[in-house]
Amino acid sequence: MTANTAAVEATGVWKVFNPDQANQVIALQDVTLRVEQGEFVSLIGPSGCGKSTLLRVIADLTEPTQGSVQVAGLGAHEARQQQRYGIAFQQSALFDWRTVRRNVELPLELAGWSKAQRMKRALELLDLVQLSDFADHRPWELSGGMQQRVAIARALAADPPLLLMDEPFGALDEMTRERMQNELLRIRMETGKSIIFVTHSIPEAVYLSDRVVVMSPRPGRITDIVPVSLGTRNEDTREDAAFFAGVTAVREALRGHEAATAGRARTGEV
Amino acid sequence: MSTAATRPKRTATWQRRLRAGGMSALWAVAGVLLVVLMWEGVKLMGSVIPLPWSTDDTAMPHVWTMLQGFSQPEVRGSETSVFEAVVAASLFSLVVAMGGFAIGVSIGLLLAIVMQRFAFMERGLLPFVIASQTVPLIALAPLIVGIGNRISIGPFQWGTTQSVMFIASYLAFFPLSVGALRGLQAPSATNLELMRSYASTPRQTLMKLRFPASIPYLVPALKVSAAASVVGTVVAEISAGVRGGIGRLLIEYAREATSTPSKVFVAMFGSIVVGLLAAGLVVLLDMYLTRNLPKEGSS
Amino acid sequence: MAGRLRFLWPPILVAVIFLGAWELLVRAKDIKPFLLPAPSLIASNFTKDVSLMFGAGVYTATTALLGLALGTLVGLMLALAAQRLHVVNSLITPLAAGLAAVPIIALTPILNNMFDITTRTPRVLISAIIVFFPIFVNVTRGLIQVRPVQVELMRSMNARPRTVLRLLRVPNALPFFYTALKIAAPLSVIAALVSEYFGGPQEGLGSRIASSAANSNYGRAWAYVLSAIIVGLVYYLVVLAIERWTTPWTGHAQRA
Repeated sequence: MTANTAAVEATGVWKVFNPDQANQVIALQDVTLRVEQGEFVSLIGPSGCGKSTLLRVIADLTEPTQGSVQVAGLGAHEARQQQRYGIAFQQSALFDWRTVRRNVELPLELAGWSKAQRMKRALELLDLVQLSDFADHRPWELSGGMQQRVAIARALAADPPLLLMDEPFGALDEMTRERMQNELLRIRMETGKSIIFVTHSIPEAVYLSDRVVVMSPRPGRITDIVPVSLGTRNEDTREDAAFFAGVTAVREALRGHEAATAGRARTGEV
Repeated sequence: MSTAATRPKRTATWQRRLRAGGMSALWAVAGVLLVVLMWEGVKLMGSVIPLPWSTDDTAMPHVWTMLQGFSQPEVRGSETSVFEAVVAASLFSLVVAMGGFAIGVSIGLLLAIVMQRFAFMERGLLPFVIASQTVPLIALAPLIVGIGNRISIGPFQWGTTQSVMFIASYLAFFPLSVGALRGLQAPSATNLELMRSYASTPRQTLMKLRFPASIPYLVPALKVSAAASVVGTVVAEISAGVRGGIGRLLIEYAREATSTPSKVFVAMFGSIVVGLLAAGLVVLLDMYLTRNLPKEGSS
Repeated sequence: MAGRLRFLWPPILVAVIFLGAWELLVRAKDIKPFLLPAPSLIASNFTKDVSLMFGAGVYTATTALLGLALGTLVGLMLALAAQRLHVVNSLITPLAAGLAAVPIIALTPILNNMFDITTRTPRVLISAIIVFFPIFVNVTRGLIQVRPVQVELMRSMNARPRTVLRLLRVPNALPFFYTALKIAAPLSVIAALVSEYFGGPQEGLGSRIASSAANSNYGRAWAYVLSAIIVGLVYYLVVLAIERWTTPWTGHAQRA
C-alpha cells in the first residue's frame, strides 16, 4: 500500500435485497466513498439508511449487488482473507469459554501465530486498552465497557491498518461511552489506524471523526459529508463552540434530508 | 420509493405454518422410507455376507410380510385379525396412559405451585424430584401390582389396571413438576414488581402472571410427560401381565416369533401408534394453550 | 461452606422425615413386608447380601455403560454430520421427535430375536438407541445455535468452516451435551434394567427384582431396587462432576 492509496475506496456500490420482487429493498444506492489512510470517518443516519450494510460490504461479510470496494488497494474479499481489517460489533461477542487473553489471541490463532508470539501480542494489546490485570479473567467477570475494550483489543490483534466498528458503544451508558470514546481516540493516536465508525449518536460522530458521512434511508444513500476540525480532543472539547457547531451542522444535514423526504412524501414520490 | 403496487406482500400465517408442517411431514415420511430401505438392504447384505446378527425371515421378516401380518387371524381359527387385536389393545393402553397422564399432570402442577410459593419446599423437594429420575419405578411394577392387588378401599378393589395407571402417573408427574416449576419462576423481576405495585396477592400473581408465563415451559414438559406415561404403561403392563393391553400382546407375540414372526412387529407398530397419538393429543393441547400467544414467524 | 450447608439441610431434613414417617407407619399399622417393607428391613436386606447386590449392580451397570457409550458416540457423530449437512438434520430430527413419544423399549423382543438372547447385546443396543436421541437432538442444537455475531466475527477473521466448528461450535455445544448426558445416563440404567424383563441372562438387577417379587421375597426385591437407585445416582453424579470440571463457565453466559 503506497502513501496515497486510500484506506477504503467504495465506488458505485449498490445493495438490493429481493431484487425485482414485491418486497424489494434498496439498502444502498450508488454509494461512493473514499477514506484516506489514518482518517476517522463516521457513518450516521436513521434506521434503514444502510450504514451497517455499507460496513458489512466493506468487510466482505455481504456482497454488493453492484459496484466495487477496495480496502488497502485490495478487493474486499482479498482484504478479508489477508486480515487487512479488524471489526468490532455492538455485542462484544467474546467466547465465554476462553479467558480474556485467549479471546484477544483468537485472530492470531487463525493466522497461525506461535503460542509465545500470540501471548506476547495479546498482553501488549491488553496493556494498550488498560486491561492487563484482567488477562486471566473470564468475560462474564467484566463489565460491558471492559468487554468492549477486549473486543477492540481483539480487533487490533493482527495489527490491521483499518478498523471497522458497528455501534460498539451502543449498549453502554453515557458516562462509559464518553470514556470509551476517549480511549478510542487515544488508541488511534498511538497506532495511526484508519477507522470507519457506524453510530446513531450525533455528538459521538462529531467528537470522534475527521469527517461525518450522513446517510438516509429508502433508498439508502449518502446525502452529505460534514468535515469536522476540532483539533486535539480534550475534556473541554465537548463544551467547545466548534463542537456544538459541528453537531448542529450534522443535525441539519440529517434533518434537511428528512424535510426533503417528507416533502416528497407529500407529493407522492416516496 | 414504494407505491401501493410495490408494497411488500405478506403471506397469511396459517398458510406458512401449513407449508412448514407439510415439509416436516414429508421429511418424516422420507425418514421412514429410508428406514424401510435400510431394513431390506441389511437383509440383502445378510444373505451374502455373514453379519453379527440374524437376518433370516424369522428374526427380520420382510417389510411386506409385516404388512401381511395385519390381516392374519390372531390365533388359528380365530375370528379376530391381528390388526383388530392390536387396535383394541392399543386403545386400551392409550386410555390407561392418558388417565395416568392426567393424574400425574395434576399432581405435578400442584407440587410445582407449592414449590414455587415456599422456597423451603423447593430446596427440600427439588433434589428428590431430580433424584427420582433415577428411580426405576418401571422396575418396581411387579411390586406395585403386588401391593395394589391387596388393597381395597371400601368396596373398591384395586386391580392391576389401577397399578399400571399409578405407574404411568408417577412417570408423568416428575418431568412436569420440574418444567412447571421453571415456568412459574420464569416471570421477570420487572413483571413481578408490577404485580406488587398493584398489591396483588400471591394467588392473583399466580393466576394472572405466573401461569400464563409458564406455558412455554409447560408444553415441552407435557410432551415428555405424555411420552413417559405411554412408556410406563406399556412396560408396567408387561411386568404386571395385564390382559387387554398392548404390552401383554408384545410379549405373547414375541414368544410366537418362530412360527409367525410378523405378529410381534404389528404389536410394535401398535405401541408406536399409541405413543404418536399421545403426542398428538399434547400437540392439540399445545395449540389450545398458546392460542393467544404471538405465533412464530408473524411480524 | 455455610452457603452450601444452607442448600443441603432442607433435602436432608425431608429425607429424614420421610424415612422416619415411613418406618413409623409400617410399625404402627403393622404393615406386612409383602405390602410395604420398612426402611429398616430394606436396609438390613441390603447389608446382609451386599455382595449379591454388588454383583447384580455391576452387571446391569456394565450393560448400561456400554449402551451409554455406544449411543453417545453415534449421537455425536450424527450431530456433527447434521450440522454440516442440512439433509441429515431434516431427516433425523422429525424422526427423533416422533420416536421420543413411543416406547422404544418395545423393540426389545425384536432385538432379542435378531441378536443372541443369551448375551447382553440386545440390551446394550436398546440402551444405546434410547440414549442416542437426547444426545443427538441436544448436541445438534448446540452446534447450530451459535450467536450470529460470533459467526460473523469468525468470518471476518477468514476462518474456514472446520475452524469455526472447532473453535466456536464445539465449545458452544458442550453445555448442551451435558444437559443431554444428564438425562441419558440415568436413562441408560433404567433401559438396561427394564430390558432384562424380556428374557435373557438373569444376573442383572432387573431380573433379580422380578424374581424376588415372584418369590414373595419383597424385602430383598426392595433392596435390589435400592441398588438400582444407587447405580443411577452414581452415573448422574459422575456426569455432573465431569460437567463442572470441564465447563466451569456454565451458568455464567454473558448476555452481551
